[in-house]
Amino acid sequence: MKDHRSSRRRILQIGGAAGLASIAGCNGLLGDSSGGSGGNGGGGGGENVVGQIGSGRSPFGERDISGGVSMTEMPDLSGELTLYSGRGEPLVGQLITFIEDLYPDLTIRPRYNSASELVNQIETEGDGSPADVFFSVNAGSLGALKDRGRTVELPTEVLDMVPDQFHDPDGMWIGTSGRARTIPYNTNELSDADVPDDIFAFPETEAFRDAIGCAPTYSSFQAFVTAMRALNGDAETRQWLNGMLDLGLQHSYADEFLVSQAVADGELRAGFANHYYIQRVLAGRPEAPIATAFTEGDAGAIFNVAGACVLDTAEDDTLASNFVRHLLSAEAQDYFARETFEYPLVPGVEPIGRLPTIDELNPPENLDLTQLSDLEGTVDLLRDVGML
Amino acid sequence: MATDTPTIDDAGDSLPLPTTIASGAVAAAVLLPLVWLVRTALDVGLSEAIAISTRPSTVQVFVNSAALVVVVTVASVLIGVPLAYLTVRTDLPFRRGFTIAVSLPLVVPSYVGAFAFVSAFGPQGAFQRLLAPLGVERLPEIYGFPGAALVVTLYTYPYVFITTRAALKSLDTTLIDAARTLEHSRWEAFRRVTIPQIKPAVGAGALLVALYALSDFGTPAIMQFDAFTRVIYVEFTSFGRDVASLLSLQLVAVTLLILGLESHVRGNEPLYAGRQGGRTSGVVPLGRWKYVAVAACLAISGLALIVPVGILLTWLAQGGAEVGSALAFRPAYAVNSIGVSAGAALVATVAGLPVAYLAAKHRSRLTDAFERATYVGYAVPGVVLGLALVYLGTSYAQPIYQTVYLLIAAYVVRFLPQAVGSMRASFLRVNPALPEAARTLGRSSFGAFRAVTLPLIAPGLLGGAALVFLTTMKELPATLLLRPSGFKTLVTHIWTATASGYYGHAAVPALILVGVSALSMLVILSQEGYDVK
Repeated sequence: MKDHRSSRRRILQIGGAAGLASIAGCNGLLGDSSGGSGGNGGGGGGENVVGQIGSGRSPFGERDISGGVSMTEMPDLSGELTLYSGRGEPLVGQLITFIEDLYPDLTIRPRYNSASELVNQIETEGDGSPADVFFSVNAGSLGALKDRGRTVELPTEVLDMVPDQFHDPDGMWIGTSGRARTIPYNTNELSDADVPDDIFAFPETEAFRDAIGCAPTYSSFQAFVTAMRALNGDAETRQWLNGMLDLGLQHSYADEFLVSQAVADGELRAGFANHYYIQRVLAGRPEAPIATAFTEGDAGAIFNVAGACVLDTAEDDTLASNFVRHLLSAEAQDYFARETFEYPLVPGVEPIGRLPTIDELNPPENLDLTQLSDLEGTVDLLRDVGML
Repeated sequence: MATDTPTIDDAGDSLPLPTTIASGAVAAAVLLPLVWLVRTALDVGLSEAIAISTRPSTVQVFVNSAALVVVVTVASVLIGVPLAYLTVRTDLPFRRGFTIAVSLPLVVPSYVGAFAFVSAFGPQGAFQRLLAPLGVERLPEIYGFPGAALVVTLYTYPYVFITTRAALKSLDTTLIDAARTLEHSRWEAFRRVTIPQIKPAVGAGALLVALYALSDFGTPAIMQFDAFTRVIYVEFTSFGRDVASLLSLQLVAVTLLILGLESHVRGNEPLYAGRQGGRTSGVVPLGRWKYVAVAACLAISGLALIVPVGILLTWLAQGGAEVGSALAFRPAYAVNSIGVSAGAALVATVAGLPVAYLAAKHRSRLTDAFERATYVGYAVPGVVLGLALVYLGTSYAQPIYQTVYLLIAAYVVRFLPQAVGSMRASFLRVNPALPEAARTLGRSSFGAFRAVTLPLIAPGLLGGAALVFLTTMKELPATLLLRPSGFKTLVTHIWTATASGYYGHAAVPALILVGVSALSMLVILSQEGYDVK
């Protein structure tokens, strides 16, 4: 056990010794070098340097790990862990495998499904649930499990790794990466100035007529509407939705990646989407005519988190919470920035791509993420105005 | 529904006990998930339940779903029966190849199909871009009812095709010859001899189509058609398990209504020839119509298969972000898919046998109820049924929870009626004089069944197994909920790719799904030689 630990330390420290500056572009533990752009670049030599998870490639250029707490400084993980992941395997599979491979005595049994189905599953399984940790795409589903009394409190050391607004006030869940609400727009059709800073100016914006789209069944869009209800009340939200429908809002898209694709294709002039979908379109098509606009201080600019919680059915609470801690390590935070184009939540790790930093965003004040878990009223409202 | 007197032998009063017990046990097992549905639905307060059931939008979606069911069922019969006739009774070229090709749409997951049709024929889809140089600005709207009906029909008519095919295979053509010698035209002979013989099988297939159209989740959602299931879907994604269960129970009620209707119209008179297992000679020559027939087969299978595969390939060609090992294909996925599907087909056939036998040969209120019970699981949306089994599994069967055993059980509950319907139709055509003759020659009742009845119903047995196999290959919602952690199949792999927006990466597994299913169909079809000489 001790040997494992020290050898792991050594492996991880090779990265440190070679200088963190040299890591970018080198191969990770997984050794998948295909597509690694300039694998030997950065002066790190040809050796396999561990530290950066994945192939190190990034469509937006190379970068270093900076800031945060390394996995080397975290407690060892050993035992068996059942992880219910509402985040897709293509997005987080590498990270999970990396953590598992780091510890010889650790077995992770990941179970991938949509977040809402996993919440339904955990609820239905009751006391018989094999789940230890739930890793989710949004605060809403974490809050839903908290409301049903299925979570246990995380240790203070873990909660303190992120600013207070990014974890549950009662410590029942913690954000691991962030996503900003944005307005993707087609740069051939519009300029940044054409997109109002105020979400309530949208229904009067003729440039959007019949050419703005959204995905009303998608959880992040529902979180946005929930935020508007919390900030401005149901009546004003209903008025806004009706105004958008009168403007010809295309509410037929199944998810926001499709909304962003439609914007890039010119099928739409603008849309409602989480920021990383735009980055994902650009990663595949760097020349696509799509850019990101933000509203200011309103529901259109909320900053939601993906996060994790430890379940009341967890066999080993310590192992479970230490696993969550690893999701907040410098390596994992860097991974979220590079591979999923999200905002790292641990101070000192910066986002990537053509994005403003977290401090430059203007999310609404007086709104905390726990207010976003009341989806039922939102669904009723969306159905009432005819969007669902 | 079963008030009329039993029509065959000494049924009703003398049900064979072991078979009845087996049949009752199967019916009880497939009804178990309802326990959870009722339990969860009760969490909705009475007043809220009434409010939900009577709000205008609920009535509207009911009407929408009903229209979809009727149109899709009629269209599937109009496509499935002629195709079955062409591939069994005529000299259509490449018959075996076409048999596989027109069966295969069944393996395309409907959400993949619907998605592809939207991408291809959407207002600004791939097809429009292709036609753009010719000045085509916009294609007619595919969203809504027309798109939903088209896509559901294209991916469900094989139910009718396969069940009808099985009936035509074991049809005694001497009857048709007799009709022809009595100066019936070919059409009259078809109408007076063939149609009554294949009616139960067509009915079985049509029932599967109707219930599928009623319970399909994916297509109405993607086609933006406000069907009943879309409402359930919305509840589910907003953690409204209880309301979703309540709505699903309403779906079960509608299912019972459809089953009742079908009982009234379906042919229950058993029809059999004096010398069964006679000949299927006398292939109908198509003459010049051959080209029309080939074109029709090509057009239908092409539309249903080439559109989704083509669209996925376009996505693949467009490239996109490289996503590493998670989406790399492994042969184990195909092995897993085939393994659980074959398991489900086998178990469903064995479990369905006593139910189908009793329903055909010893018709009574009880045996009817057993048979109808098998349809309930089929009419409940997969995700609801999956959760019901999650509940049963964690509460009463923890050792097999998240193992392939419970997974296969889920498939059987979902798809059992596909096997039962097909086998029942076959049993109806078995002349009881034949096994009786075997009995008088000294066989035990089981011996007579094995030596005489079984070979006669073999096409129906295989047809039913093929249906279960093909639909299990593409089953997604229950698979995601009940599979062992880390267990991947072709369809979960497709889901992994599409759920994260990597549509291009779904092309390879989708092609493999279709390819593997085609090979499996080839194996199943090669067994057909075993039926009638």
